[in-house]
Amino acid sequence: MIDVQHIDLSFDGTQWVLQGVDLHVKSGEFVALAGPSGCGKTTLLNLCAGLLDLPPGQRLQVAGQAPKLGSREVAYMLARDSLFPWLNALDNAAFGLKVRGMPIAEARDRAAKMLKQVGLGGFEYRMPKALSHGMRQRVALARTFAMPSPLLLMDEPFGSLDAQTKLQLQDLLLQLCQEGNRTVLFVTHDLSEAVALADRVVVMSSRPGRIVADVTVPLERPRSIRQLQTNENFHRTYAQVWKHLEEGWVHHEG
Amino acid sequence: MKADTLRTLSHHAVFVSVVLGLWEWAARTGFIDPSFLGSPLGIIGFTLENLANARLWGDLGYTLMAVFSSFFIGSVAAMATGLAFVTWPKLEAFCEPYIAAMNVLPRIALVPLFILWFGLGVGSKIALGVSLTFFIVLSTTVAGIRGVSQDHITLTRSLGASSQQMFFWVTLPGAVPVLFSGLRLGLIYALLGVVGAEVIASERGLGQQLAYLGSTFNVNGVWSLLFDLALIGVLIMKLMNWVERRLLHWQ
Repeated sequence: MIDVQHIDLSFDGTQWVLQGVDLHVKSGEFVALAGPSGCGKTTLLNLCAGLLDLPPGQRLQVAGQAPKLGSREVAYMLARDSLFPWLNALDNAAFGLKVRGMPIAEARDRAAKMLKQVGLGGFEYRMPKALSHGMRQRVALARTFAMPSPLLLMDEPFGSLDAQTKLQLQDLLLQLCQEGNRTVLFVTHDLSEAVALADRVVVMSSRPGRIVADVTVPLERPRSIRQLQTNENFHRTYAQVWKHLEEGWVHHEG
Repeated sequence: MKADTLRTLSHHAVFVSVVLGLWEWAARTGFIDPSFLGSPLGIIGFTLENLANARLWGDLGYTLMAVFSSFFIGSVAAMATGLAFVTWPKLEAFCEPYIAAMNVLPRIALVPLFILWFGLGVGSKIALGVSLTFFIVLSTTVAGIRGVSQDHITLTRSLGASSQQMFFWVTLPGAVPVLFSGLRLGLIYALLGVVGAEVIASERGLGQQLAYLGSTFNVNGVWSLLFDLALIGVLIMKLMNWVERRLLHWQ
């Protein structure tokens, strides 16, 4: 689904943001991209979404073609909920579908079902200002999952939530992914989140961003975030990913 | 009506009554000269007489028509220019010194030119109103569009939105709160420009009536029209607040 081959990227021609990055994500896989702040995780995600232009001669393919803005294969979710304050929850959830040309009634119908699925049935006509932080992020999840795109690019979607809400939404995300058979590239700096959600955790070093490890998570699906807290494999994988992350720092400082 | 509102209203009623009472007493006892400062009862008498006069309503309609025309033309032109500036920043950079020079020019000084170009009729009044409204709405349009959330723009771009979708679904609603503060001010400035131009030279309008009353030493009449203009200003603000509440109920 995603094929990144040895990408080098610099914005100013002097400092590398990404260096020699290879990444392959198979269809149906959930891959977490972890690494310290500023290591180029979001840049790599934006390249896949077509939000940044690829330097000439570099090879990056998403769903078999060069990334392009508005590709129906891809749905993008930002770190902040980014709900439109002038639209109610239903119209926010239907926004992506409407932009992509779905008739309004059909888009609303689909969005309403999605809102119910994320636990916001009955909140369709609430404005974002009347929703809690966690509820707004649920609407953003509904907006992302309402689109039938097989590939989801998620940029630290739970990064700004409190611990309890974060755990609830991680469980919800696991559930939605298991039902929808989507491919997910999930950027996070939270290692436990990466291990809990993903099939593989790809660890990046500090700038310039390089892939320093690709760790397969030996946890079966379906998963539950709560049960993982007592799972030995979870803690072992967490320690392994943490070690790779530390090596990335040492490599950078060295 | 809430008790707090009633209490506030009664405080204002007492304050206004005391001020008017003192003013009337001072005018009657000769403490002040009513032929220069007028008197409350004289003003009320003139106002009642004027309200029954068809001329007042004709002038009011004439002034309001010029105000809303100036506001409409000035705002539409400013929003179109602001959009062009945001779309083509090089155009904004090129125009910036000219816009800055025109903006600091006391616009009332343009009235003689406007009268030459558009005559004594409504055209010169609208021209001055437009010249005042335009720059205020232009600066808030540019600020409003530039202030639209980058997250909203990134999200909408990632969805492959067309330019029209981006403008009508994201940029315009996102810019409205800031834009509206400029529109509210623009409408008040349109009133200021039109009445100002009427005072200087006009055949009709509240400003012309004001200038006539002043030149004939009818101080009560001048006060009466000043209160009328203040009332119009307040009603215009109320109208804009109402529209804002309807448009920006989501805020």
